[in-house]
Amino acid sequence: MATISISLSKDITEKVRPPRALYFGFPLGHPIGYPHQASLHHRVLRLLLRYLKDIDSPGTIVELDVTEKDNGVKYPG
Amino acid sequence: MRQKKDKIVAKLLGKYPPLFKQWVKRAEFIEFDDSPWTPLDKDVSLCRLALITTGGIHLKSQPPFDMFDGAGDPTFREIPADTSPSELIITHNYYDRSGANKDVNVVFPLERVLELKQSGEIGDVNHRHFAFMGHIMHHHIDVLMKETAPRVAAKLKSDRVDIVVLTPA
Repeated sequence: MATISISLSKDITEKVRPPRALYFGFPLGHPIGYPHQASLHHRVLRLLLRYLKDIDSPGTIVELDVTEKDNGVKYPG
Repeated sequence: MRQKKDKIVAKLLGKYPPLFKQWVKRAEFIEFDDSPWTPLDKDVSLCRLALITTGGIHLKSQPPFDMFDGAGDPTFREIPADTSPSELIITHNYYDRSGANKDVNVVFPLERVLELKQSGEIGDVNHRHFAFMGHIMHHHIDVLMKETAPRVAAKLKSDRVDIVVLTPA
C-alpha cells in the first residue's frame, strides 16, 4: 500500500519520517482545511492523490500553498 | 481536572503556532532515520483508497478512547464506509476539535473521498476505515507499533487497499 500523510508540523514530520507528506500550513485540528468548505477539501485530497504518484523519494515533505496552483516546494527527503 | 487542563492546553497550542513550535521542541517523538516505501504502480483512478486518522473519531456506538490514562490509548476503531457524519463522535482532548465538531470531514474526509469516487477520480473507497487517538505515549507506543498498527495494516492489506491517506489532528 502506498501511503501519504498530511503534516501539521514540519518539525514533527521530519522526525517521524512518513513515506510521503504534504504540509499546507493548516492549524492543528484542521488537516483537510476548514469546516463546510467542500471545494477546499477536494483540492487538498486531489493534491494528496497527485503527490502519491509524484513523490519518488522516501521521507519527502512537500510544502504547498493550497490557495495557489502547482507551486510545490520540495524539502529533501 | 487533568482532562480540563488537557483541553485548555490543546486550545492554546492550536491558537498560538509559536507556542506549538516550542512544545514540539520539548516533546519526545519516536524518531526514524529512514522511511518505509511502497511505490504507487497504478493509476489513482484504478486504486482502492482507505483513510486512517489519529483524530479520535469513532462511532457513537463504539467505546470512546481512553481519556483517563495520561499515557493515552493505542487502540483503534473501525469505521464503515457507509457511516454518516451524524453517527460519528470525537473523543480526543489533545487538539482543538472546534472545526471537526462542525464538520468531521476536516479531520476524517469520508464524504469527500466518496465524492471523488463518484466523479471517477479514484477507483474505489474501501468498505472500512480506521481511527486512532493520536495521544499515545510511554508503554502504549510499543503496543501501537507491535500490535494495533500492524493489525490495521493487515486488515487493509486483506481488503486489497492500494492507497491510504493519513490525517493527523
